[in-house]
Amino acid sequence: MSGESKPLIIAESLSREYTLGETRVVGVNRIDWSVAAGELVVVKGNSGSGKSTLLSLLAGLDRPTGGRLIVSGWDVSRLSDKHLTQYRRKTVGMVFQSFNLMPTLNVMENVCLPALLAGEPYDAVRERADGHLRRLGMERRFDHLPSQLSGGEMQRTAIARALINDPAIVLADEPTGNLDSRNGTVVMDLLADLHRTDGRTVIIATHSDMADAHATVEVELKDGGIV
Amino acid sequence: MTHIGFFFRLFGWFILRPMGSAKGRTLTVLLGVALGAAVFTSVRLAVHASLEAFHRNMDAVVGRAEQTVLVPGGRVPESLVARLLSHRQVKAASPISTTYVRVAGSDTEPFLLLGFDPLLDRPLRHWRTTDAETPVSAWLDLIRHPGTFIAGSLLAERNGWKTGETTTLLHAGEPMTFRMVGVMAGGGLSAAEGGMVALCDIATFQEFTGWRGAVDRIDLILAPGETAAAVQALKKDLPKEVQIRPASRTRESGRMMIRAYQLNLSILSFASLFVGTFLVYSLVALNAASRRKETAILRSLGASPRMVFALFLVEGTALGLMGWLLAIPVSGLLLPFLLEGVSETVSTLFVRVSVPGFSLSAWEVLLSFTVTVAVAGAAAVQPSAEAMKVPPREVLAVIGRRGVPDRQTKRLTLAGLLMIAGVWPLARLPGPTGLALPGYAATMLLFIGFAMISPAVLRRLGRSVSIPLRRLAGTPAYLAGRYVKDSGTRTAVSVGALITAVALFVSLVIMIHSFRETVKLWVEQTVSGDLFVASRLAEVNDFRDPMTRDQIALLHSLSDEAEIVASRRFSLLYDGRVPYTLQAMAMDPFLRHGDFVWMRGDARASRPALVQGRGVVISEVFANRTGLSVGDRFRQPLQGTAVKLPVLGIIRDYRTQGGVVFFAFSALQAQLGDVRWTGARLYLRDSSGWTAAELRNALLERGGGSMDMVLGKDLRGEILRIFDETFAVTTVLLFIALAVAALGIATTLTILVLERYRELNTLYAVGGSSLQLRTMILWEALLIVSVGEAAGLVCGFLLSHILIFVINRQSFGWTFLYRVDWSALALSVPLVIAVALAAALPAFRAVFRQPPAAMLRER
Repeated sequence: MSGESKPLIIAESLSREYTLGETRVVGVNRIDWSVAAGELVVVKGNSGSGKSTLLSLLAGLDRPTGGRLIVSGWDVSRLSDKHLTQYRRKTVGMVFQSFNLMPTLNVMENVCLPALLAGEPYDAVRERADGHLRRLGMERRFDHLPSQLSGGEMQRTAIARALINDPAIVLADEPTGNLDSRNGTVVMDLLADLHRTDGRTVIIATHSDMADAHATVEVELKDGGIV
Repeated sequence: MTHIGFFFRLFGWFILRPMGSAKGRTLTVLLGVALGAAVFTSVRLAVHASLEAFHRNMDAVVGRAEQTVLVPGGRVPESLVARLLSHRQVKAASPISTTYVRVAGSDTEPFLLLGFDPLLDRPLRHWRTTDAETPVSAWLDLIRHPGTFIAGSLLAERNGWKTGETTTLLHAGEPMTFRMVGVMAGGGLSAAEGGMVALCDIATFQEFTGWRGAVDRIDLILAPGETAAAVQALKKDLPKEVQIRPASRTRESGRMMIRAYQLNLSILSFASLFVGTFLVYSLVALNAASRRKETAILRSLGASPRMVFALFLVEGTALGLMGWLLAIPVSGLLLPFLLEGVSETVSTLFVRVSVPGFSLSAWEVLLSFTVTVAVAGAAAVQPSAEAMKVPPREVLAVIGRRGVPDRQTKRLTLAGLLMIAGVWPLARLPGPTGLALPGYAATMLLFIGFAMISPAVLRRLGRSVSIPLRRLAGTPAYLAGRYVKDSGTRTAVSVGALITAVALFVSLVIMIHSFRETVKLWVEQTVSGDLFVASRLAEVNDFRDPMTRDQIALLHSLSDEAEIVASRRFSLLYDGRVPYTLQAMAMDPFLRHGDFVWMRGDARASRPALVQGRGVVISEVFANRTGLSVGDRFRQPLQGTAVKLPVLGIIRDYRTQGGVVFFAFSALQAQLGDVRWTGARLYLRDSSGWTAAELRNALLERGGGSMDMVLGKDLRGEILRIFDETFAVTTVLLFIALAVAALGIATTLTILVLERYRELNTLYAVGGSSLQLRTMILWEALLIVSVGEAAGLVCGFLLSHILIFVINRQSFGWTFLYRVDWSALALSVPLVIAVALAAALPAFRAVFRQPPAAMLRER
């Protein structure tokens, strides 16, 4: 954790509990945590340790059941649906293990999608998407459908999509989990480059050791708490 | 055996258990199948009940008679009975006369009075009286005591008659008081008309009806030997005007007419089941797609492609089976309504039937079961075949496959277009008389063809509208367009269901409107007249009884106030096979006040010839049934003479029993001499200053109470009312098909949402709001419904041509003027869209059934 800069993420006694049938499952358990802007945080832990729950809270996909979560000035735990949507659009960009590209949209359209949902005109967004895709080495794949791409290309498209709204934070959930080691290394380098070149905050949840070399902060989760 | 046991265990694990966790979806599909199966089963059972009632009636009335002796358009001299009894070719002969009569001073419906010789008839018909109420020898009273009858049990019960009581019966002639000497029981004649029958001695019958020395027919049992030779020998020995026919002829023509009606309703009701099968397809396709991973695991563990195919196929079949079981209580609700509607329609259109209730026919139950399960199984074939192609290696894949290859869409489109192109040639193929099999086959081809081209239509629509939609309605609409473009056969199946339902709706709206407008025109032109008069109960007795001379004189007494168009009708068989009505009518006054609705022939040139008795006009039905056309010669033996006249024109006529041939009353008089009328229509003269009601009152005041009279306005209204009632059943079936299609849309949209939960959640994760996601679903529904509606309209217009010019012609022999009810269609468009969009509501609710965060937990 960086002590010098103002924290971009502040978690205070952050909890998320689920009910599965009659059983209560603790996803994240009273976490107190902060992340400064511009860090590359690697969140590690075994299956069930709470990595995905923490990421879904940070991504605005889920709400805490206890405590507070403040990200880039947004109190995520108290946001209305409308503001939570704004938060997802402007503050975070998500990269998934399974890429989650729209199968019916081509690469360019997939990348433009978040900006279009935010109401921006297509032509303006397209120009921006063009730049991101070129930077990620996807300039020859604009019109390809996801089914026509390799795993590495799909993940690079997903990264471009995560960047299209220029978010303060890029969240990556096991970004190399479905890639071979060569493509995994390429993707990890790209994420590191976002942090290094753009100064963007990147949070990566992973089992893999590939991210270790790039991490400025490493966090280990166990049973929903930070070890 | 072990193998089968394992298969069903696997079926339970792999298919039934997941079904239980998606109860809403499964129940919706089952409800759709159940509705379709229930409609199909109830319609079949209802028509079967009418057919059974008709058969029971005919069996009871025909008995063991092999041949029948009759005079076309007249009655048989009773003296022939003795000649026939002494003929070496005849084993038994029984004179029979029947007529419908009414109880005086009662509103009860007419019943059948059968006059016969109780002694001579014993070898031909079985009947007995109830021992408890009457002595076994009661039948002897019929002979010993004139003016007696034995009543059917239902008739006695409805009128509250007890043995020994008297009642006055009405017929065309004078009323007569009868005494009931017994009540029939058991089978045989007691089953005729559902028990609404009474038997009397032939002498009593003749005294009552005035037909002394004549009977309707003489039924025969031939001596052992070759039938054809016996008939030939009999013909030689009988007078020229007398004909001899198989006794089953009437039964056969009636059976054929009801069978044609049964086929029509069966096909219409099958449409609901057909639409229901789209639901089965949707659910099995969803399950096959969503369990791709599990299928791959099964395959990797050693399941053969055939086993995977069988699992999903049995799923479809099981849905059919469960839907059929669920249809049993639904049928119980539908059946009473359909039983009443169908029996009324059969009685109005074809033959009079009295249906006491329905009997469960094992054959109909088996047919309904087989059809339901088979079509549900057939609907599962394609998704099952897709599932069996899942390779075991997919167990290692993370990304599922989606979308229909372009080549497959092209193949489907080509096949669909070929099918549509084949519709008209197939429809025009000759089929069995009265059964529109080529027409119905063409209809099925049309539906399947349109369903097959719908993926291409969706693709084209999605491609062409997504960009304009983005500009007009934003990103959600654009995404919906893109999804619809690539959604392939899954969406197309739902569109196919909607096309079927909309096409049925549109085509039937057009057909019913065209039919009604044509009937209205026919009624206005041909059923013209201010007052219609006929002998009492003429309608129900097929106008067989002429009016009395007093009644005719009474009409003549009003000739200063009204112009009289006399007519005489004969119910005949043309060529001994085609039932029709030959009607002689005073053509000059008729053509001055009304006209026929001419289809073929030169109306202007033909009218004078028709007035002068130099030709006939034949109805379209008669022309189609007999093959006669303009210029051909019409030939009909009639009471010992023969009518031989050229056909001057073909006209529209919508009488319910077969066709009709019109010719001049003067020509009939020239042929037969003094001819009594069976009815007349009166046109008020302007100089009279009377209204039609005043004319009727004048007739009643002068003793016209013994005639049936109806105002022209009322008669025309009654014809249109019967028309509307006839189509009530059709309309109900139509709305059920639409309801099933709405269920199909609901299921498909929900399935599409559930199937894409990962995509929808991704949209949410990358910044889409709940409103945007729901707007996208709404646009998808709107696009799907629009394609279904538009293609359904096109398909409906094509189908309406097939219905009007092929199926009606093949089934009933008539066609109509093509008239589109634009206002009804315009109203139906928002109605169908509203119904379909309402069906999108469950999909709205399903959007976030899987929380967005679940994407991150899934590995």
